[in-house]
Amino acid sequence: MGTQMQEDGQGSTVASQPILSVRAVQKTYKLGRVKVPVLHGVDLNVQQGEWVTILGASGSGKSTLLHLLGGLDRPDKNSKSPASVKYQDRELTRLSKRALDRYRADDVGFVFQFYHLLPELSVLQNVTIGGMIKYGRLGYRTHRKEIVDRASSLLDRFGLSHRLKHRPAELSGGERQRVAIARALINEPSLLLADEPTGNLDVKTGASILDAIIEHRRDAGLTLVMVTHDERIAEKSDRVIRLVDGRVTDA
Amino acid sequence: MLAMAAVMLSVATILITWSVMGGFLKTLIESGKTLVGDVAIVWPNVGFAHYDDLIERLEADEMIDSATPTIETFGLIKLPDDRVELISIKGIDAASYSAVTGFADTMWWKPITEPTSKDHAGADLRLDPENKAFFAEIEENGKSMSRFNTKTGLYEPAGVLGIEVTGLNARQVWGGYIPQSPLRALPDGGTEWIDTFMPRDGTVGLTILALDSQGHPIDPVTRTIPIANEFQSGLYEVDQGTIFVPLHVIQKMLRLHEAQRIERVKDTDNPFAVEVDPVTGELGPKMKEIIGIDPARVTTVFVRGIDGVELAEIHQRVRDIYEEFAQAHEGEVPESYLMQNQIKTWEEMNKTMISAVKKETGLVLFIFGIVSFTTVFLVLAIFWSMATEKTKDIGVLRALGASTPGIAWLWIRYGASIGIVGSVTGTAMGYWVVMNINEIHDWMGEQFGLVIWDPRQYYFVEIPSAVEPDKALIVFVIGILTCVVGAAIPAIHSARMDPVKALRFE
Repeated sequence: MGTQMQEDGQGSTVASQPILSVRAVQKTYKLGRVKVPVLHGVDLNVQQGEWVTILGASGSGKSTLLHLLGGLDRPDKNSKSPASVKYQDRELTRLSKRALDRYRADDVGFVFQFYHLLPELSVLQNVTIGGMIKYGRLGYRTHRKEIVDRASSLLDRFGLSHRLKHRPAELSGGERQRVAIARALINEPSLLLADEPTGNLDVKTGASILDAIIEHRRDAGLTLVMVTHDERIAEKSDRVIRLVDGRVTDA
Repeated sequence: MLAMAAVMLSVATILITWSVMGGFLKTLIESGKTLVGDVAIVWPNVGFAHYDDLIERLEADEMIDSATPTIETFGLIKLPDDRVELISIKGIDAASYSAVTGFADTMWWKPITEPTSKDHAGADLRLDPENKAFFAEIEENGKSMSRFNTKTGLYEPAGVLGIEVTGLNARQVWGGYIPQSPLRALPDGGTEWIDTFMPRDGTVGLTILALDSQGHPIDPVTRTIPIANEFQSGLYEVDQGTIFVPLHVIQKMLRLHEAQRIERVKDTDNPFAVEVDPVTGELGPKMKEIIGIDPARVTTVFVRGIDGVELAEIHQRVRDIYEEFAQAHEGEVPESYLMQNQIKTWEEMNKTMISAVKKETGLVLFIFGIVSFTTVFLVLAIFWSMATEKTKDIGVLRALGASTPGIAWLWIRYGASIGIVGSVTGTAMGYWVVMNINEIHDWMGEQFGLVIWDPRQYYFVEIPSAVEPDKALIVFVIGILTCVVGAAIPAIHSARMDPVKALRFE
C-alpha cells in the first residue's frame, strides 16, 4: 500500500514510500447539538519532496485535512473503518499529545492565509520562536546562536534583512507572509503545510511569495501540501487533488 | 499594568495596615508593661506578710534585678471640684517601684528641652525656661512622692495622679496637655472657679475601707492626699483611674502596717486566780496579756528580671523562690501551691487588653485580606480577557509545537512576573508609606483637614512606623501567589484550548 512509481529525473521510474499516507479519514464537527460532517473517508498519499495542491470550494474540508496532516486535530474514531494518518512510519492517530507536539515542532511547518504573527514580537523573534519551542527554554540558550543565524539567513533570503527589529504591524502583507514562511522553515521541517498562503495578497505579491516557497522547496527537498482556490497556482504543482463534499477526487 | 497596579496597591495596603496595627499593639503592650515589671506575686485584699524577706530573697538571685512591695486596692477619690469617682489605688515605695518599673519616667510634669514630635509651635508649657525650676521641683516631688507644705514647713507624703483622672488637663492636638482650673458646680446652678494646679497646690480626698485583723472590711477611712505630680503611662484605662500613694500611707489606712498585737490568754502561772472581766463585768479566770507584733503586709510584689533573660525563666524562678519563702514562713504566708496562679507575668496580667487588641488587629487584617483577595479575581479577569484576546496566538504557538504545559507555564510565568513586579513596588511603596506615615498624615491634615490619628484620642502622639522584615516578606510572597493563582485558571483554560478552534477564533 502506498508505494508509488516516480520519475527520477532521468526518464526512468523509482519506487518510493509516501511521506504522508491518509486512509479512511472522517471528521465531523459539532455545532451545538448539530453534527456537521466535513470529511467522509479521505484517502491520500503524498510522496517525499512532492508538491500536492488541494483544491476545493469553501467548506469542502481543505483546511480540516491540512490540520489533520499537521497533527493539530485528530480524525473521528470509526471502529468499522479505522482512520489512519501516517507520517513516514509514525501513525499520527496513535501518538500522544506530547508526541504530536514534537511532530509539529520538528517535522512540520505551517503557513496560514492570515500570517498569524505575534504582534508583540519583532520580525526576528517571530521567526526564532519556533526554535525556542523546539528546543525549550534551556535548550534554546544552547542553540540560540544557531537559531538566530538561521532565522537571519532565512529572512535575508526573503529580502527582509532590513526589517529584523520591526514589528509585524510595520510590515506589508507580503512581508508578513514572508516572515510567516521563515517561521515555518526555522526548524528545517520536511513537510510544509500551507493554507492559502497567497489568498490574502494581490496577484503580484502572491506570485513572489509562491516563488519564495517553490525556490526553498526545491533547494531543501521539502514536501509541500498547499490548500488554495487558485487554479493557476495548482497548475504549477506536481499533483492536484480536489476535495468535493469531503471526498478526494483526483484532478 | 492594571494587574500590576492592583497587586501593588493590595500589597502596600496590607503591609501598611499590618505594620501600623502591629506597631499599635506593640506600643500598647510596652505601655502595659510600664507599671508592672516582669512578674507579679499577688495575694489580694488581705495581703501577705514578711514581704521584706521575700524581696531580699528575690534580689539575692542572679536572675532577678529588683523587686518592690505594693498594695493594690480600690477607693473613692474626691476631686478639687468635689466630684467623687471610683479609683484604683496603688500604694508604692517610690524608689524601689521606679527600679522595677518605668514609674519615674512616666512623670508628666517635668522640664523638657526638646518639643515633642508634633509640637511644631513649641506650645508645651514644660519647654518654657522660666518654668524649668518649677517643673524640676515637681518632677522630684513625683519621684519621691512628697510635697513641701508651706504652712508646716515640712515635706509631707503625696500622691501621683493619673494625668486624666481630674479631667483638668486638656489634651492638645500636638499630644501634650494644658492644665485647666476647675469649676465647681453649685447647688443654685452656678459655678465656682477654683484656682489650682494639682502638682502645685492640689489635693484629693481618698476614702477606703480599712480591714480588721481577719481581712474583713470595716469602717471607711478618709485622708486628704496632696498631689506631687501626674503620670502618663500610655494606657488610658490606667491614666484615667489610678492614683499612686506612698506605701506606708496606704498600709496605715488599710491597717496593713506593722502593729502591736495584744492577745488575752489564761494566766497559767496562777490557775486559781479570778478577776472581773472589764467588758462584761462578770467574774472569770484571771487573764494575762501577751504583746506581739503583727508584721506589715502588702498585696503585691512586683519583680523585674535582669535584661536578656526569657520571661518564662524569670516566672519560674520567682515561683521557686516563693516556694522557699513559704516554707521558711510556714503558717504565716500563703502556701506556695495556693500561689501557683497568683504569680503572674506582665503578659498574663494584661491578657484581656492584649488579646483584645490582637483580635482587633486580626479582624482588621482579615477584612483587608478579604478586600485584597479580590485582587486574585481582578488578575483572573484581566488574564482571562488577555487569554481571550490572545486565543489566535495560542493557536499559532500550538501549531508551532508548543505543548499544553508549555502554554500554561507561559501564562503562569507572566502572572508571576506581574506578581513579582507588583509585590516589589507594593512592598517598597508600603515600606515608604509606613516610614513616612506621620509626615504623610500631617500633610493630609494641612491640605485636606483630614486627621485620622488624633493625639487627643490616641495616647501615642505618633502613628507607629516600623516595618518588620518577616511581615514584609510574608506580604511580598502572598502578592506573588495572588498573581500566580489569578493567572492559573486562564492559563489552564488557554493550555486546554483546541488549537484548531483557537486558530479559527474570531
